Amino acid sequence: MKKLLGLAIVLALFVSLAAGCQKTPEAPPAAGEPQDKELNLFTWEGMFPEEVLARFEEETGIKVNYSNFDYNETMLAKLEASGGGDYDLVIADDYILEAVIAGGLAQKLDLSKIPNIEHVNPIYQGQFYDPNDEYTVPYGAGVQTIVYNPDAVQKDITGYSDLWDPSLKDSVGTIANYRVINGMALKVLGESYNTEDLEVIEAAGQKLLELAPNIRVIKDDNLQDDLLSGEVDVAVMYTSQVTMAKLANPDLKVVFPTEGIGFGIMAKFIPSKAPHPDAAHKFINFILDPEVSAECFEWLGYYCTNKAADELINPEFRDFLTLPEGFNEDMEMIRVVGAEAEEVHTRIWTEFKAACGQS
Amino acid sequence: MKKKSKLPGLYLGFILALMYIPILLVIIYSFNESRISSVWGGWSLRWYRDLFRDRDIMEAMTNSLFLATVSSLSAAVIGTLAAVGMPKTNLRGKGIIEYLSTLPIMIPEIILGMVFLVYFSLIKLPFGMITLAVAHTSFCIPYVYMLVKARLVGIDKSYAEAAKDLGATEWNVFWDITLPLILPAITSGVLLAFAMSLDDVVISVFVTGVNTNTLPLKIYTQLKTGVTPKINALCTLMFVSTMLIVITSAWFARKSVSRTERRINSEEASGIGDSIGLVR
Amino acid sequence: MNTEIRRGSPAVLMTGGEPRKRKASFRRLFDAATISVVPIYVFTLLFVVGPLVYMVVLSFLKRAETWGVLREFTWANYSNILKPVYLKTFYESLKLASFTTLFVALVGYPFGYFMARLTAVWKRRMMLLLMIPFWTSSLIRLYGWIIIFRANGTLDNILMGIGLTKAPLKLLYTYSAVVVGMIYALVPFMIFAVYSSAEKLDWQLVEAARDLGATPWQAFITVSFRLTLPGLLSGVVLTFIPSMGLFFIADILGGNKVILVGNLIQEQLMKARNWPFAAALSVVLMILTSIMIALYRKVSGVKDLEGLV
Repeated sequence: MKKLLGLAIVLALFVSLAAGCQKTPEAPPAAGEPQDKELNLFTWEGMFPEEVLARFEEETGIKVNYSNFDYNETMLAKLEASGGGDYDLVIADDYILEAVIAGGLAQKLDLSKIPNIEHVNPIYQGQFYDPNDEYTVPYGAGVQTIVYNPDAVQKDITGYSDLWDPSLKDSVGTIANYRVINGMALKVLGESYNTEDLEVIEAAGQKLLELAPNIRVIKDDNLQDDLLSGEVDVAVMYTSQVTMAKLANPDLKVVFPTEGIGFGIMAKFIPSKAPHPDAAHKFINFILDPEVSAECFEWLGYYCTNKAADELINPEFRDFLTLPEGFNEDMEMIRVVGAEAEEVHTRIWTEFKAACGQS
Repeated sequence: MKKKSKLPGLYLGFILALMYIPILLVIIYSFNESRISSVWGGWSLRWYRDLFRDRDIMEAMTNSLFLATVSSLSAAVIGTLAAVGMPKTNLRGKGIIEYLSTLPIMIPEIILGMVFLVYFSLIKLPFGMITLAVAHTSFCIPYVYMLVKARLVGIDKSYAEAAKDLGATEWNVFWDITLPLILPAITSGVLLAFAMSLDDVVISVFVTGVNTNTLPLKIYTQLKTGVTPKINALCTLMFVSTMLIVITSAWFARKSVSRTERRINSEEASGIGDSIGLVR
Repeated sequence: MNTEIRRGSPAVLMTGGEPRKRKASFRRLFDAATISVVPIYVFTLLFVVGPLVYMVVLSFLKRAETWGVLREFTWANYSNILKPVYLKTFYESLKLASFTTLFVALVGYPFGYFMARLTAVWKRRMMLLLMIPFWTSSLIRLYGWIIIFRANGTLDNILMGIGLTKAPLKLLYTYSAVVVGMIYALVPFMIFAVYSSAEKLDWQLVEAARDLGATPWQAFITVSFRLTLPGLLSGVVLTFIPSMGLFFIADILGGNKVILVGNLIQEQLMKARNWPFAAALSVVLMILTSIMIALYRKVSGVKDLEGLV
């Protein structure tokens, strides 16, 4: 029986622990008003500074429940599973928004509730996924750039084609987004990111195989670390990574490739059956306030989509967070292509990675 | 049993040291001032401050602990009962059920997460703690089941038979004889399952609901903004608290060892001996 | 007890419905062993079989043009696997898994074996020391290896400090780095398996062999090794199987240049949005895994994986 006593103690321990845990999430501090007292925010982790969320809660009395996903695809799958419910506000990437809107999973915004919408930089509006700006409000924007360490690279890099240079053997790092990297080869061949011509994509695959010996690493998270530690000398990176790298080492050079600029936007939307659409509108309006926006973009390290916030951004960051000259002219956004093209893309990407491993 | 040779001891020490070096480095780098891990910016508690200031982290932590507790304990119940019952029952298809129940740790997590998502929405299970607990239980069961089963093989059946001869019911036999004997295996199974549940992100991201962020979810969904050393700080805290729990329970165990030494010596240490010394 | 029986009622459905047998199955229902397996039957049928059936069905469907799946039957996902690049991925996975398993066995077998010869107290301590790393995030432990391997990292500094090398070696993002990471992640499973087998070993047999004039080595081979073989074999299975699916090690330490089936599945699912193909890959992987286990049972003559388990 003594043994049982021991078991009972352990069980009791677990149960009390469990009970203790259960209580916490069930007791939100909200007062009992019928108005939306909650906001279910669904996006990547770390998209807003703590202070901004706290201030929003303080000003409106709405509690923000911040849920996270890893990939856009996970988000869409979850949104489909819940039939466009559960979440009040989602931030995701451009190409997936097209599918979200086409699937009827987003609701039209009530712009009268978002007076601050006037601050949005029009460059980021009217994009393919939402031509009339009915469903989405842009948040951060990014540009695919090449960053290199001029001390380690003899060559002057101006575009993607320079990455093929034999002097860069085993010293290039890239992000693991196959559309961006395959797209690099497409751009070098003078084609569009979004071509559905299978032969052209195959040709890009051949071109990529020639790049394989130069590739040292392909990865999405913390690529800037490798550039800073000297693991790689050149990197094709996301904007937030470029910002972090530049802040740590101002000598790094950022190149907007001559072949054309790839460009992406993350935008907010309200799911079709959002339980608290009112709170979501309030939140959008709150974030669009120029001062709040400036704070967010400094934190986030992506391009600022709020024109009124541009000049409020700390000069230390302003260079990387506002648009470069002549930006609008040769940019192209990556969009979802047809199933056949997509299959060729993934195959040439796998072949490319295998070739990188061989060399 | 002691050997003259020192080689085995050295070997064990060496391999263990290798296992702990990466953890040690993670701990050291949690005190790195710089956000970039390859730049040493001097010692600082910045990331610990950030960690404690993070509004959701405590909630995520309680969610994670709750989830790991529920799923490892339900796995303990289901797995133990099954391991004890399977050899005796002549229910149809037990071989297949046994095989199927171990599949969740055999197939890649990512596909498991995806099919769980679709399946749960198909059977209209609301996403949240329930779905998380079901999914986690599914991959916790095999650990408990296999450990308990392995332990049962080594147990002398004559105890149970003797008890039955003396008129004990099946239930009494289980509760008074079998259970205490397999408790070490259950405990190690639960601890292993607990650890696996606490670490899971791939499945959780698919089956979680609105208000149920878990710790790993919070950590590994920073893809867009770059993973920060906050994680190192968090891991350090988790590591230190694990160590503390282990040391405390070992200390308690030693106290009880002197009292029940004979019994402990008679049972070999299968599983997490020290921490369950308390239980015995 | 009453509630227990009621909870057990689905068993009636499962044990089949012939009226003549009804009485027998009713008695079976009262049988404690049967009641105790009901939870795993219910759970498995409900939450494992259901999703698995869906996965298999999915693998025969067509992907939709942009997102989701169409309800049209096709073999295409399976014939797609036969493309050279994907076959090669399976081959590479098997190669890496074999490499890993070999090294894991070389490192883990002696560990488990030596561990079984420790005193009871040290056995427990050792077990704890092995388990503790499990309680910290698996990914973050890999980041620890990055710190060691990277340019001007710990290892480079040590090697250059001793004067063995002059310039930083490029250690990170290599095949060897991946193998090291795999060994690191999987060796505990091998240790548990070998240990639990060696633990049951009757050391008097070894001594008897020695008394009969065998050298320590001969005694080891003829007695200890043969008797711990089941543990070793189950360790092999327990390391081989996960090493096919562990994608994050190849990503983090291999710089994504070593592609394994696990990586491929992850990419098809999360980036290419080709769910059916990912499902087909998973089905094939699952079949390979099952074959491995069946082979293990044949070879070892043991019904279960010994050890960790």
